[in-house]
This record gives sequence, structure tokens and C-alpha cells, in this order.
Amino acid sequence: MAAIEIQGLSKRFGEITAVDDLSFSTREGAVTGFLGPNGAGKTTTLRMLLGLVTPTEGTATVDGRPYAELADPTRHVGAVLESTSFHPGRRARQHLRVLATAAGLPLERVDEVLDEVGLAEAGDRRVKGFSLGMRQRLGLASALLGAPNFLILDEPTNGLDPEGVHWLRQYLRSFADRGGSVLVSSHLLAEVAQTVDDVVIIANGRFVIQSSLSDLAQPSQSGVRVRTPHAETLRAALTAEGIAAELVAADVVMAFETTAEAVGLAAAGAAAVIYEMTVERFNLEELFLELTTSEGALR
Amino acid sequence: MNNLIRAELLKLRTTRTFWWSVGAALTFVPLSIALAIAKIGTPDGTSLDSVEGFRNVIAAASSGGMLVLLIGIMVMAGEFRFNTITSTFLITPERKRVVAAKLAASSLVGIAIAAVSSSLTLAIALPWLASRHVDVASHSTDIVIVLLGGIAATAISGMVGVGVGSLVTNQTLAVAVTLTWLLLVEAMVVSFAPGLGRWLPGGAAGAMSGAATYSNLLPVGAAALLFAGYGLAFAAAGSRFVLRRDIT
Repeated sequence: MAAIEIQGLSKRFGEITAVDDLSFSTREGAVTGFLGPNGAGKTTTLRMLLGLVTPTEGTATVDGRPYAELADPTRHVGAVLESTSFHPGRRARQHLRVLATAAGLPLERVDEVLDEVGLAEAGDRRVKGFSLGMRQRLGLASALLGAPNFLILDEPTNGLDPEGVHWLRQYLRSFADRGGSVLVSSHLLAEVAQTVDDVVIIANGRFVIQSSLSDLAQPSQSGVRVRTPHAETLRAALTAEGIAAELVAADVVMAFETTAEAVGLAAAGAAAVIYEMTVERFNLEELFLELTTSEGALR
Repeated sequence: MNNLIRAELLKLRTTRTFWWSVGAALTFVPLSIALAIAKIGTPDGTSLDSVEGFRNVIAAASSGGMLVLLIGIMVMAGEFRFNTITSTFLITPERKRVVAAKLAASSLVGIAIAAVSSSLTLAIALPWLASRHVDVASHSTDIVIVLLGGIAATAISGMVGVGVGSLVTNQTLAVAVTLTWLLLVEAMVVSFAPGLGRWLPGGAAGAMSGAATYSNLLPVGAAALLFAGYGLAFAAAGSRFVLRRDIT
């Protein structure tokens, strides 16, 4: 069974479409990197997955069910969403006691998770005085209270020092090696490349590509790069044909795992003018860099 | 549900603002007694031995009502202020239960503060009144009515606070709006249109607890019904809002 399954998920905030018909699934017992440029819709997707944001359309399930329908969700899924969700005046141990009480978990778990994330010494200090790295650890401790099999983390390396990043990588790796499933978002491929088994890349709220880490660096992916003044029209036409495509610039569409013929036919059908079309072999790292640096992705 | 209520009470006990509020609420008790006795005891004021005069002194038992309302606001809006609402809803995705626990916890805090204030009031006011030649024993029914009314009013204040904090999740704004309403708007309505003032939340709570002194007040029973209605209305309106809201 898929660990996490996202199907046809969309979210519109007024005029803005944050997530657009997104579908993907992740494997059990694997660390999946959820990658995309800032503003790609990663946080909104994770919050929909966790029942905090109501999708406009589509479904998202963890362990086969929507999060809100899990009995005792904290015993299934632990989530680390942001480093700022603590009452500054509360001590770390008090913060965890509040959560454990609400979740009906034994209070002994509080000291166990503090120990597990290396905060045993800081348990009686107020969160106000915590560094960003300590807050991230406390966030992880909160997620671990229910001893879940699934971990969902949103940009957990933000603000961590190199030592903290290293520690977190090792932690996630060992969590998955013990059979747990992890979904970790990042806007930096390099941050997760050493930890993940699979990657899912999104841009502009849309699915771009999914791959295993072993395929990541190999130039095995092929695609067609098209320069056109009707980029959005062509992208929609390709997507309708079942061809993954993404705008990498305002006037450049990248179509994945397809042929020039198929792209040409789709373009003719959509009456899109083509200035230039190139068949390319690329690796995901290059693609990701292109998505994160080009204007098209930040549109 | 018990777990959630206990967690809400623990959240309060682990913040210093809460203890400051409790301290302030209890400090108001002797101050209110002193003020009431000073005001009523003047030659042209109501006699301390009259039903109104006596009740008005004992009403000090519910002088923490406004602070309990602010605590109720903090219980909900404080979670939005510090973003802790995210982990609260992650643990309990069924948001109705979270709102219910917050309403219950705030009411319990209200009852506890009002109960302590009631004991304080009796300990301070009764000897004081006796020394002013008031026949305390003849007022035992008044004591019961005022204390029960005050405890109920304070409990409902907690619910109103949770409702306000749900409607206005910006805590500072919610507190500012509430204080402006109670101290300024209602006070003005009461001076210019007393007939209208008795129907407002503060007027109803004041009549219920014996704290309000202007004439034209609703009878205690009617005021209790009206204020309970306000509590339910605020709680219902607020929870509708929180249940649907995207937590981004």
C-alpha cells in the first residue's frame, strides 16, 4: 500500500491557485523528498494532507485514510510544520506534556522524546530562549510523542546549522531503516539528496516528475524543450494528452518523457506557435536547478 | 474529552499571563467591596442594609468576570497568536471537540475564580458590614442569590470569551474590542439609553450578579437567561468560524 496518496488535489485561495490537480504517492519504508521552488505549493499540500487546510478538490490520504479520519492520529503520523508554533513562555517539557495530555499519551513519553532529540538538558527551559535549531528539535520531539510510523516534515532544515542538518539527516535515515515512512519537503535538492530514496518535484502547484534517487543524477530522462509565445496553452494541451509538462520560463515549456512528434501534434492541436523545439537528455538535478532559478517557476 | 479539557487547563496553568489574570481578578474583590461600601454608605446613597445596597457589596464576588472573559479570549486567540493551533488541530482533527473543550475549560476557570472570590467576599464583606450595623443574618437569601448568580455569570463570561476569541483570532484586537465595548460603549448606552443597556451583555451579566447599580435592570432570572443566550450565541458563531478556517 502507498504510504501517502495524493489524488487530483487542488487548492485555490481566491484568485490564486496554490495547488493544481496534484497527484502522487509515496512508498512505505522510504524517505521521499518533496521538492519544489519557494511558493510551489509544498506547504499547502502538506497542510491539506494533514487536514489543516480544506482542499478545493481532490483527496489526500496517509496510511489509506484522510488524516482527520485516523483514530488517534498522533500514533500514526507525526508532523513538523514550522519552528514557530510554541508558546514562548512555556518550558519545553510543559509544551510536550500539554500535547501528550491532549493526545491521551503516557507522560513518560515526554522524557523519552526529549532524550531522543537531544534536548534532555533543556527540558526545563522556556522556549523563548531556544535557538532555531533547538526549536526544530522540539518540533520533532512533539511529532515523535505518539511513536508514529509516518513522519511529515516541512522544510525542517530551515535555520539549522550544519551540525543540526547532519543530525536530522541521520535521524530520518534511521527512522526509515526501522520501517517508518518519511515525507520531507525542501526547496534545496542538495539538502535532501543524501537522505532520500525518492523525490517528487512540483512547480507552480503542479506535479513535474517523480523519480528514485538512483535515477536522480543519471542523464536518463529525456524531454522536449519548446520555446513558444503560447506556453501556458501548450502546457495545458500536453497535460490533457497525459504528457507531464512544466513552464520553466514564461515562454519555455519542458515536456517530460515524450517525443518531439507527440509534442508537435499537441502544439498543432492547440494552435500554439512554436519558435524552437529541442529534444534534450537531462538529469533531475539540472531540471530542479532550472525550475528553482528561472523566472517561469517563480511566476 | 476529559483529556482535552485537562490539556486546556494545563495550557493555562503553564502561562504566566493566566496567573497574572487570576491575581488581578482576586485583587478586584477587596477593592470592589471597599468601593461599594464607600459609595453606598454615603448619607444620600442607598442604605447598606437595603436589599440593593447589600447585594451590591456582595457582588464583589463576581468582579473577576471581565478577566475571565479575557482568559476565554486567550484560550482561543492565544493559540492563533503563537501558532500552537496547528499542533492542537493535528492532535484533534475533529475541531468541534477542541472548541467544546475550550468552552468547558474556560467555564471551569470562571467557576473556580468566582468560587474563590465568593469566599474572599464573605470573609471580608460580612465583618465589615456588621461593623456598619448591617443585620447580616437577615440577608442570607440575598447572599445565596448574588453568589450563585455571580458564579454562573462568571462561567458564562468564559464562554463568551472563547466565542469572541474565535471570531477575532487576533488576540490583541479581540481584547481591545472587548474592553472598548464593556468599558466605553456599554457605559455610554447605559447613561444615554438605560432602557436599552439592560439588554446588552454587560447589563445582563451585571443584573445577574448584582454588580450593576443603575435602575431598570432585568430581574435576575431573566438576566441569567439572556446572558446564557449571549454565551451560546458567541460560542456558536465563533465555533462556526474556527471549524471552517484554513490553518495556514
